[in-house]
Amino acid sequence: MLNAPNDAMGVETATLASAPRRAGLSEAARRRWFLAVLLGPTAVIVLAVVAFPFVYNVAISFSNMNIYTLRDWELIGLDQYAAVFREPAFWSVFLKTIVWTVVCVAFHVGLGVLLAVLLHQSFVKGKSAWRVLLIIPWAVPQYITALTWRGEFNFEFGAVNLLIEGLGGSAISWLSDPFTAFVAAIITNVWLGFPFMMVIALGGLQSIPRELYEAAEVDGASAWTQFRTITAPLLRPVMIPAVTLGTIWTFNNINVVWLVSNGGEPNDQTHILVSYVYEAAF
Amino acid sequence: MRSLVCALLFATAVGGCAGASGPPPEGEPVVVRIWHQKDAAERRFLDDWAAAYNASQDTVVVETLYKETEELRNHYVFAAIGGKGPDLIFGPADNMGTLGITETIRPLDDLVDPDFLAGFSDDGRVTYDGKLYGLADQIGNHLTFVYNPALLPEPPETLDALAALGRTLTRDTDGDGDADQYALVWNYTEPFFFIPFLTSFGGWVMDDAGNPTLDTPETVAAIQYVLDLRDRYGVIPREADYETAKALFRDDYAAATIDGPWSWGGYQDAGVDVQLAPLPLNEQTGLRAQPMAAAKAYSLNPAVPDWKLPAVLGVLQLLTGDAIQAQMARELATIPVRTAVRQSDVMTSSETLTQSLAQIEYSRPMPTAPQMRQIWDAMRGPYQLVMNGQVSAEEGARLMQEQAEKRIADTFLN
Repeated sequence: MLNAPNDAMGVETATLASAPRRAGLSEAARRRWFLAVLLGPTAVIVLAVVAFPFVYNVAISFSNMNIYTLRDWELIGLDQYAAVFREPAFWSVFLKTIVWTVVCVAFHVGLGVLLAVLLHQSFVKGKSAWRVLLIIPWAVPQYITALTWRGEFNFEFGAVNLLIEGLGGSAISWLSDPFTAFVAAIITNVWLGFPFMMVIALGGLQSIPRELYEAAEVDGASAWTQFRTITAPLLRPVMIPAVTLGTIWTFNNINVVWLVSNGGEPNDQTHILVSYVYEAAF
Repeated sequence: MRSLVCALLFATAVGGCAGASGPPPEGEPVVVRIWHQKDAAERRFLDDWAAAYNASQDTVVVETLYKETEELRNHYVFAAIGGKGPDLIFGPADNMGTLGITETIRPLDDLVDPDFLAGFSDDGRVTYDGKLYGLADQIGNHLTFVYNPALLPEPPETLDALAALGRTLTRDTDGDGDADQYALVWNYTEPFFFIPFLTSFGGWVMDDAGNPTLDTPETVAAIQYVLDLRDRYGVIPREADYETAKALFRDDYAAATIDGPWSWGGYQDAGVDVQLAPLPLNEQTGLRAQPMAAAKAYSLNPAVPDWKLPAVLGVLQLLTGDAIQAQMARELATIPVRTAVRQSDVMTSSETLTQSLAQIEYSRPMPTAPQMRQIWDAMRGPYQLVMNGQVSAEEGARLMQEQAEKRIADTFLN
């Protein structure tokens, strides 16, 4: 392969290999030299910009480095890690992160699959228009959506309370109370996340053969039985990677919590781990 | 070994900067490099100035590089620790503590001509721990009472008069039982915007040693006053963050706001006839509501070699001298820190400049101690708890102090 005259790589290889051949290197040595030439620059760059900073940061996490010891820090073992786990706020934030992730992903998947199944029904008219409308929340940049929702949760001027009052309810101090502020962030994230799951589920639904449903109808299966025994099992292989991605994205999603709660307000009680770390570090 | 590795790493990243080489060959100019975080308008001004200066002589070349504020500080600290980085760094005065402690800027006390130094106002000489670390070309970032004369013909002179505005200017215009227009609106849950009220009751955020001074009767009184503005006098809305406050004032739903220099142009562009006035006087204490004001200053990299020092200090004096500060005041409406310029007729060249200077006269410099960051973070939460009605003003002040002490201990005392 390397010596194939018509191969573009081979032409270059022959040129590169000609010099060591004159020096009397074996074929295996020439191959190793060639690989080293190809990989060397990349390896140096990866070492300099990925490996070294990573190791350096890990080392710092075991040190007493701060503004006063920046030039002469020393390793102090696990003290910093112990301090993190001793911090009562850490466990509360960790728990909140789990709740945030589970609730958001559950709603993303539930709403996404529900809407996909509805859009997949033959009686629904104007499917393309519905699809475009339902994808819009996903298409708008997250920070714009988050800031818009924050405005809508304003006690006096927000659309959410105006709607609640219009329906005869009492206005809620969404952003002043830790629980309701967290709920507001979750609502915003659900709004942002369900279209992705809907798109994935729609793709999965279209790959399920119609004959299965026809056979089920012949057997007298109800719509729920068809969903439980055909749709759900055949969607699972498509949805599992999407749910995995959704979980990772939601767990690490700083934008929504940070922007809706204005940096963890009130009193840093709406943080998830990633926003808590960001607040502490920056 | 660690320092060596750092130095090598950052020498690669910032090669060619301070300390990298010896004097240039005979006939070649000395290159003076500046890293800064000036905004777009000031950046253009600086670049134009550098281009004109470089064209006017052939011994020194000034090169500038813009970086965003956080990036500037982080990049600079690591570069300077490795003996690299620019010759001069320009940034907000509150960076001085961090840069001074890490010895990444050099004291200027014995380097700058005393006669030139004497020409600065106090707020133009930026010090930390008793040493002069920066020379400013402006002071700003100060909050001011901003009002719409169509809704509020005369700004309130006192805190009592401000509270009384709720009776006349907070109105239910459509008769639905809810107020639609407020006398005043501002980002009152953010501690930076609380400082004028704290100072008007005689409080402050830290002592000279950088220890927080938040659990005081003055803090309690100031928190209570803001709370009363909302709950007792109905002057301000029940909730208002910065964006809400800006929108309400801009759209005539509020007669006045409290905002800084970065916002005035935006209000004018939106068609609001913005007028500025100093924040009110507290008759009870006899003290003005004083916002924090921050100078922006040039500092010297310790890595600048002796042979280069005269050129760098020469550029520093030009960049902070009377001529450039007068030009900046005229063209950019910045507040100068050279006494002669402040007293000149440049300051009466625009109404905004005059009104802005009136507030600067009643302001306090932002502390340069690095603990300020921990104090801001510690103030925010408890202050919001009080505003949300979850704790009393007394408990809020106590929590602020407790959290500030803990954050400072966690950050600085390993």
